[in-house]
Amino acid sequence: MGHLKPLWLRFRYTISMHEMGIAIEIYRTCREVVREHGQGRLQSVRIAVGELAAVEPDLLKFGWEAVIVDGPDEGAELEIDFCRADQRCPSCGEAKERSEGSWFRICPDCGAPLEVRGGDELDVLEVTFETDED
Amino acid sequence: MTKKLVTIRRKALAASEERADKLRGRFADSGTLVFNLISSPGSGKTTLLETTIGRMAEVCKMAVIEGDVATERDADRIRAMGVPAHQVLTSGACHLDARQIETALETTDLLPADVLFIENVGNLICPTTYDLGEDFKIALLSVTEGDDKPIKYPAIFSRADITVITKSDLLPYVPFDLDTVTGHISSLNPSGVILVVSSTTGEGIDLWCDLIASRLEAKRRS
Repeated sequence: MGHLKPLWLRFRYTISMHEMGIAIEIYRTCREVVREHGQGRLQSVRIAVGELAAVEPDLLKFGWEAVIVDGPDEGAELEIDFCRADQRCPSCGEAKERSEGSWFRICPDCGAPLEVRGGDELDVLEVTFETDED
Repeated sequence: MTKKLVTIRRKALAASEERADKLRGRFADSGTLVFNLISSPGSGKTTLLETTIGRMAEVCKMAVIEGDVATERDADRIRAMGVPAHQVLTSGACHLDARQIETALETTDLLPADVLFIENVGNLICPTTYDLGEDFKIALLSVTEGDDKPIKYPAIFSRADITVITKSDLLPYVPFDLDTVTGHISSLNPSGVILVVSSTTGEGIDLWCDLIASRLEAKRRS
């Protein structure tokens, strides 16, 4: 646990991508969850990242590795569920898929504004840890 | 050694969002309307603030938090106009977070104020993710940056409540198709407001100041 406190200081001068800060927050959340349910070594964490969350999964994994290296939870896996946004055109009454690389919220068929649900997830879903306790 | 699996659904940025909510409460108590200004470096955020202060200093009390990697230059420019300003120096970090806003409020007498402008670190990507307790996110795009920026960096333009296109006096000199850009921004964000301004000629500044005044009025009524 001595590993936790200096994290902010450790990365203070190297956080030049926001994925690094997010990786730190995910680690904090994991540690909090382990503490709430006993104690032990973190084995894996599963998170949801939405396609509109403006978070790059590979950079997030890179940040995660940097956060856990040389600490008590070194080697813990970060598993990412990438979530698509659900887009619907109220005028056509149909689901409309987002074309690759475009964030437009206008129906490609009729031009009406799309209703967008989800896709902005940045959630911790599951934390797995090893413990001596029953 | 046993293995435990805990299923939760907790926002990864919960701690940061909690801080932002506390800030929002504080701003509600002081009746302060808060704007979070996000754009590339050099798009004219500080200049727009100077122009705004020049126009609105007599009708409302303003305060500014400046975020930059280095130097007090921006805060100095604001202070020179008689408005309290706090400079956050991020030493390389690419965005402001709620913790830095808390510190700014503790160290500098910024509140009470009618309007607080938070000028984020110049960056179209990272500041988008962080809630600073603001009422509205404002994106700025200068015409010299090129008209493809909203579709290349869509996150901020889809989330900003207001997009301000700046340096409109330079339109005759640069290949920037205003209709295409406003079309792109409306497609990214059908409910967003778009303004076209020039701090040099004053174009659109009345509309911008009216917008601030009406949002302030709406906040006071709520």
